[in-house]
Amino acid sequence: MSTTAAERGLQNDGQPSESFSVWNHLKKASPRLNNNPNSYEAQQLNRLSLDQCVKCTICETQCPVTRVTEMFAGPKFVGPQAERFRNGESVDHTLDYCSSCGICTLNCPQGVKIAELNSMARAVMKQGHMPLRDRLITQTSLEGRVLTPVAPLANWALQRKPLRVAVEKVIGVHRDAPMPVAQSQSIRGWLRHREGPMARRPGQPDRGPVVFFTGCAGTYFEVETSKKTIEVLEHLGYTVIVPRQGCCGLASQSNGLFDQARSSVVKLAGDLAKGGRHVPVVTSSGSCAGMVKHEAREIMGVEDRTVTDIGARMRETSEFLLALADAGELPTDFERIEMTIPYHAPCQLKGQGMGMPAIRLMELVPGITVVESGENCCGIAGTYGLKKEKYEVAQAVGRPLFDKFKESGAELGACDTETCRWQIRAGTGMDIVHPIHVIHAAYGLSDIHSPQV
Amino acid sequence: MRDVIVVGGGLAGLVAALRLRRAGLHTTLVHMGRGGLQLGQGTIDVLGYRPSLVAHPLTELGEFCALEERRGGPTHPYNLLGVEPVRVGVGFLRELVGEAMAGDIETNVLLPTALGGLRPTTLYPASMAAGTVSLDPSDPGALHDGSRVVVVGIEQLKDFSCQLVAQNLATIELPGGGRLETRSASVSFPGRGTEADSNAVAIARALDRPERRRDFVAALGRLARRGETIAVPNVLGLTDETFTAIADGLGRPVFEIPLPPPGVAGMRLTDRLTDLARAYRVEMILGSRVIGAETGLGRIRSLRLGTAGHETDLEARYVLLAPGGFESGAIELDSYGRLHEPALGLPLAVPDAELLNDSWAGEQPIFRTGVATDCTMRVVEPATGEPVHENLYAAGGFLAGAQRWDEKSGEGIALASAVRAADSIIEQLKES
Repeated sequence: MSTTAAERGLQNDGQPSESFSVWNHLKKASPRLNNNPNSYEAQQLNRLSLDQCVKCTICETQCPVTRVTEMFAGPKFVGPQAERFRNGESVDHTLDYCSSCGICTLNCPQGVKIAELNSMARAVMKQGHMPLRDRLITQTSLEGRVLTPVAPLANWALQRKPLRVAVEKVIGVHRDAPMPVAQSQSIRGWLRHREGPMARRPGQPDRGPVVFFTGCAGTYFEVETSKKTIEVLEHLGYTVIVPRQGCCGLASQSNGLFDQARSSVVKLAGDLAKGGRHVPVVTSSGSCAGMVKHEAREIMGVEDRTVTDIGARMRETSEFLLALADAGELPTDFERIEMTIPYHAPCQLKGQGMGMPAIRLMELVPGITVVESGENCCGIAGTYGLKKEKYEVAQAVGRPLFDKFKESGAELGACDTETCRWQIRAGTGMDIVHPIHVIHAAYGLSDIHSPQV
Repeated sequence: MRDVIVVGGGLAGLVAALRLRRAGLHTTLVHMGRGGLQLGQGTIDVLGYRPSLVAHPLTELGEFCALEERRGGPTHPYNLLGVEPVRVGVGFLRELVGEAMAGDIETNVLLPTALGGLRPTTLYPASMAAGTVSLDPSDPGALHDGSRVVVVGIEQLKDFSCQLVAQNLATIELPGGGRLETRSASVSFPGRGTEADSNAVAIARALDRPERRRDFVAALGRLARRGETIAVPNVLGLTDETFTAIADGLGRPVFEIPLPPPGVAGMRLTDRLTDLARAYRVEMILGSRVIGAETGLGRIRSLRLGTAGHETDLEARYVLLAPGGFESGAIELDSYGRLHEPALGLPLAVPDAELLNDSWAGEQPIFRTGVATDCTMRVVEPATGEPVHENLYAAGGFLAGAQRWDEKSGEGIALASAVRAADSIIEQLKES
C-alpha cells in the first residue's frame, strides 16, 4: 500500500503538518491520542489496511505463538479486531505476547498490516512502563563493544549458571536463553589487520564496488559470516566497502522504543550512504535488512530519503547472489559437497517477499540437497525468546523446527539471521551457519567444516 | 530464465505449478498470502446445481452449458473447457493427494453442513465419507433412511451448534426417501490449556497429540449409543493420521462436518499441496504483490513484484494467472462503479445486465466478471477474441462467466482450467 506524502500530511521536510485536519479531529475526539508515541502511525498507513480484513482467520492459523500458548489471543483478535476499540489505549494486554515475527502479515491474502498494527499498539501499551530489561537488551552494538575486548571472560561468564540466575532475577533475561559467543576480534578489527582483500577469481574482471552492511551481530558476534561474505564478494570481483556503521534499531523497534529506533536507522542509512551513491548494499543480516527495507517506514513511519534510498539498494546476500545467477553472471564452478542441509528461512526474511533464495543458491553447488524446515518461525524473534516470561513460549515455538533439524541426521544446518542461529544452535546442538558459509566452501575458499562463528 | 510464473497460491495456482514442474519446467509460484483453498471446506465441487440439484456432474454438464449459452454474457469456463478437461483436472488432483480424497467424479453425494442442511459435492476428504448421502439410486450411501446420527458439539467451539445441526438434519427428506434419526450431545475439549473459546485449528492441533486424542476418543465413546454414527465438527487433526487413529479408536463410523473458516479440511489440502510443491522444487515467493509487467512484441517479458524495499522483475517465458476473483482482491470495483483488474490492467468480460441487485442470497451478475480466455486458457480481449499477450494464461476464480458458489463449481473450474492452462503451456514449450 502506498500513500503520497500529501495524503500523509507531510511537508517536504518530512515533518507532520499542523494543518492535517483528520488528525486534529481524531485528537479532539480521543484526547488519549495526544499522548500517543506513534502519532504518525496511529492516524493512518496501517490503519487504512484494517478495512481489508475479512476475518478469514488465516493469520490465526499461521501464528507460531498462538499455536503453542493461550497467553496470546491471536493476531486477528489483538490486531484488526481489537484495533477498532483501542481509541489510543490497549484493550487486550495479551498483545505483549506477540513476538513481532510478521508471519500474520506475510500470510494475509488481503494485505492487512496485522503485525505492524500490533507492533504500534504494543509501543503505546508499554509507554511509561518500559522494563529496564527491554532498554538494556536493545543496546546491541553497546553489548558488542563491551564484550569484544573481554571475549574469553564474557563467554566464561555467560556459561556460569549462578550468574545467569542472578541476571534473570535482576534483569529478566532467562537463565537458559541462547546467547551469542563473544569474539575477540570484531569485523572492523579483522578488516584492519588482514593483509588486503581476497584475490579475485583467475581472469575475473572488476565488478565495481558494493557496500557491506555488517549488522551489530555480524560486527561483533557472527564475525565469521561477515568475513566469508566479504571474501566471496571479493572473489567474485567486487570491491567491498565497509563504512563505519551503527545499529539499525530493529531490537529497539520490536520492543516499542521507537524514538531510539528511529534515530538509529536514520543514522545507519547515513553511515552506509557514505559508501557511495548507487552502489549496491549487501548484508548477511537478514532481519536488519528488513528493518531498513520496510519496517522502519511501515511500523515507525520513518520518511527519510536516505533510509528509502539505502532500503531500495539493499539485498540480502543470497538474494544478491541468486539475482546474479539468474542473470547468468554467477560462476558456478563449485566444488562438489555431498551434503543434505536442513535450512530455515527466518520469519523476518520471509516477510521481505523475496521467497527463499538461499535454497536455490545452495543447490547450485553439486551434491547439496536443501531441506526446508517448513516452519514459520524458530521462536526467538530477535529478543523475544530471551525474556524470562517468554522463554518457554519461544522454545515451544521452535521445538518442531529443532526436531526436524535433529531428525535430519545432518551435521550442519543453515539459517540466514544471527539470533535465529543462536536459537537453533541452542535447541539442536548442531552447527548452524549462514548460507554464505556453504558458498564460501564451494568456491574452495574454506573447508565446509570451518568455524561457524 | 524461468519457464513459467504462476500467480496465486489457491487450488488452481498450486495444481498448475505442480503440473508444470512435473513436466520439468522451471516454475515460480508467486502469491500474496495463503490461498483461498484453506477457507473452503476441503471438498471438490464440480457442479452441484444447474440450478436443480445435480447427481451426475459430468453427464449433466452438457445441459448446464446449453443453459449458460442461452443466458448470454461472459462465456462460462465450462463452456470453453467441456467434460474431458474436468476429468483430467480432477484426476490430476487425485494423483497428487492419493487416498486423502474419496468420491467418484461421475456421481455427486450430499454432505451435512454446519447449519444442518445437505449440500452436493463430488470429492470429499476420507474423514467425511461416513457422512455421505447418496444421489445414486443403486448405492444406499453411508447415511440413509433410518440411519441414526449423534451430532457431537464441543463446548469451547462456538462455530458449531450441535442442536441446530441435529434438529435441522432430521427434518430433511432424503433423495432416496425417508429421514435420518438424529440427536445432539456435547463434550468439553479446550484446544489450548483451559481456554473457554477455541477455534477449530487449535482443537485440531490438540487432537494431533496422542494423549489429548485418547481423552477425546474416550469422551465420544462414552456418549455414543449402539448403532449410531458420530458426527463431529471438522476438527479431527491437521494430519490425516489423526482421523484414522480416532476412527480406529472409536470402532464405529465417524465423520466431520465442515465449518466456517478457518477450514481444517481446506488447510490439510493446502498444506499437502504446498509440501508437494516444495518437494518438487517449485520456487515459491510468498508475500509479494504483482504490481505490473514489462511487455513487448505481444508478449509479457517479466512480471514486476513489489518486494520489500524495491521492485523485483521476474522474467519468464510464460505467465499463468490464478489470483482468484473479487473475494481475493484480484478484481476491483471502484466507487464510480468501474471494474478493474489491478495488477496488469487486463480487459475484463463484464455482464451486460445490471451488475448488482437487491436480492440478498440470490445471484449477483457482478461476480460473473473476470478475464476471458480461449479454450486453451489463453487470455483474450472479450470483444475480439484476440490474445492479449501470446504467453499469458489464466485459471480458476479469475475467469469470467461463473457464479461458483451458486453452481457449486469452484474447485471443478479451478482444476480443469489450471491443468488445461498448464498443458497448453507445456505443449507450446515443447513446440518451440
